[in-house]
Amino acid sequence: MMKKELGLFLLLAVISAITGAINPAFLSFVNLLNMANLIGLFGVFALGEGLVIITGGIDLSLGSMFALLGVVFIDLLTTYQVPWPFALVLVLLGGLALGGIQGFLITRLKMQPFIVTLCGLLIYRGAARYYTSDSTRGFGYGDEASTLSNIASGNVAGIPNTFIFLIILAVILGVLLHRSVYGRWLYAVGKNEEAARYSGIRTNLVIATAYVISGGLAGVSTVMFVFYTNSVSPSSFGNFYELYAIAAAVLGGCSLRGGEGSILGIVLGTALLQVLQNLVNILGIPNSLNFAVMGTVILIGVLADQQLQARRRRKAALAGLARTAPRSKETTMLQSASPRGAAALPTSAGDQA
Amino acid sequence: MVTPHDAGLAVLELKGIGKEFGAIRALHGVDLRVSPGEVLGLMGDNGAGKSTLVKLIAGNFPPSHGEIRFDGKPVHFARPIDARAIGIEVVYQDLALADNLTAAANVFLGRELKRRLGPFALLDHKAMAARALELFGELRSETRPHDLVKQMSGGQRQAVAIARTRLSNAKLVMMDEPTAAISVRQVEQVLGLIHRLKEQGVAVMLISHRMPDVFAVCDRVVVMRRGEKRADKAIADTSPEEVTSLITGAKEAA
Repeated sequence: MMKKELGLFLLLAVISAITGAINPAFLSFVNLLNMANLIGLFGVFALGEGLVIITGGIDLSLGSMFALLGVVFIDLLTTYQVPWPFALVLVLLGGLALGGIQGFLITRLKMQPFIVTLCGLLIYRGAARYYTSDSTRGFGYGDEASTLSNIASGNVAGIPNTFIFLIILAVILGVLLHRSVYGRWLYAVGKNEEAARYSGIRTNLVIATAYVISGGLAGVSTVMFVFYTNSVSPSSFGNFYELYAIAAAVLGGCSLRGGEGSILGIVLGTALLQVLQNLVNILGIPNSLNFAVMGTVILIGVLADQQLQARRRRKAALAGLARTAPRSKETTMLQSASPRGAAALPTSAGDQA
Repeated sequence: MVTPHDAGLAVLELKGIGKEFGAIRALHGVDLRVSPGEVLGLMGDNGAGKSTLVKLIAGNFPPSHGEIRFDGKPVHFARPIDARAIGIEVVYQDLALADNLTAAANVFLGRELKRRLGPFALLDHKAMAARALELFGELRSETRPHDLVKQMSGGQRQAVAIARTRLSNAKLVMMDEPTAAISVRQVEQVLGLIHRLKEQGVAVMLISHRMPDVFAVCDRVVVMRRGEKRADKAIADTSPEEVTSLITGAKEAA
């Protein structure tokens, strides 16, 4: 279970060491804090995306959710002069509600997660642009929410608050996913919904809750991004961010087939993505290659993981055959064990795609 | 040896059970008794009414006619969970296990043991693993609680599925083709598991196409054909040839 996370951590360490050796600026305090901030910003909603992916679903609507909730949030603070605690609560509730609607459509009306959240992506983006007539919303020169701004984009002893929020949320969700009954059910539902239902688990509720959590975390991320950029341009704010989250989750060991993944993996996946982005800048690789570097690393990472797993499985099958084989035939069994052992296992090597 | 069939109270008793789906008559006038510690083989060709009968007993849908008595009392199930609540478990052919979880996690799926930590209830991994190990021990299976189900053989998977029924102390376990898709050595293991259930006084209904398995573990065999019970005989009083001719209809009834 932990092998995957350890591997990811080593990869992260090796890449950081090499980049740091080539350009020491990578390991400078300022750069590390900057990266920590970005990891915090991108990690929070990746956690929610990860939970959804573990149920075997996907949430494509996150980036558009940021835009819609972002313009509403700024409008509440500036145009309507709503006190910031209320505006904050409204945005969080908005995220939870959007997640709830998506969860309802997916579980109750039996629509496919890809379709529901793709339509969410289109609808929220359109709504944000219509609401603002496509104009950028920002804070004026007033200090509408300086307290909240300080909380969302400040730091404690130099450590960005966004990063601290990520750690706190990761610990909470880690306990939820890995230590609570709900987490156990989430894994069961993701791998075999029928089995879970037969076991008396209310699978619809479990799945819908994952979308609600994802929506809520999108609300938290919205507030953090708004104070990071200080303005929201509805047509571009948060564009493609859901793909960062999916990439981080997959890199962190989540299987798009459901039932696999861990919170630590998702956090490490997010960190690796941000390190890659950063090293593109630091090493003077043309910025236009940014996405290409990211794509290549994810491809290689998932491929390597798959090969390692297949090898481990073959080894386990071989050991199993050796253990149960009759003594006299042991040698012949061992010789033919590899192909037969692999064939005997129901899960294919493509399990982690 | 006196067959359990003659002795004492039946766990399950069906009287004149019939079931229609629209104009289709799936079951007609089925009477059936199963006693504690008895293994009953339920045989019949595809479409003979075996699955309908099992689903009726498991509470998937109610009978159109007749009465189901469990432990001597008439029962009515609205949902499968009602049947499970009074002690009827089904081990399905595809086993209904979550591959990505451990054996212990599967045994306790939906019935997890928890320990309180302040306001929170966390999974009690240790207690679940210990209890699962106990259950596997009772079944004399070498399944290890911490192994992932996806790494297990068909026989071990059956052990996990059967351990689930032990956890709820089921009085009647219905098994749908448990030996259909596994190797010969694992068939032996599964038949062994059925013996363990019998030893512990559990009534077992084995739905199977495999004649040797039925004759190896069952005390009695019931043959269904076209929605009706055509035979109900002690294993000692019949033969595979007779059962085959009853299933195909070469022999009308016995």
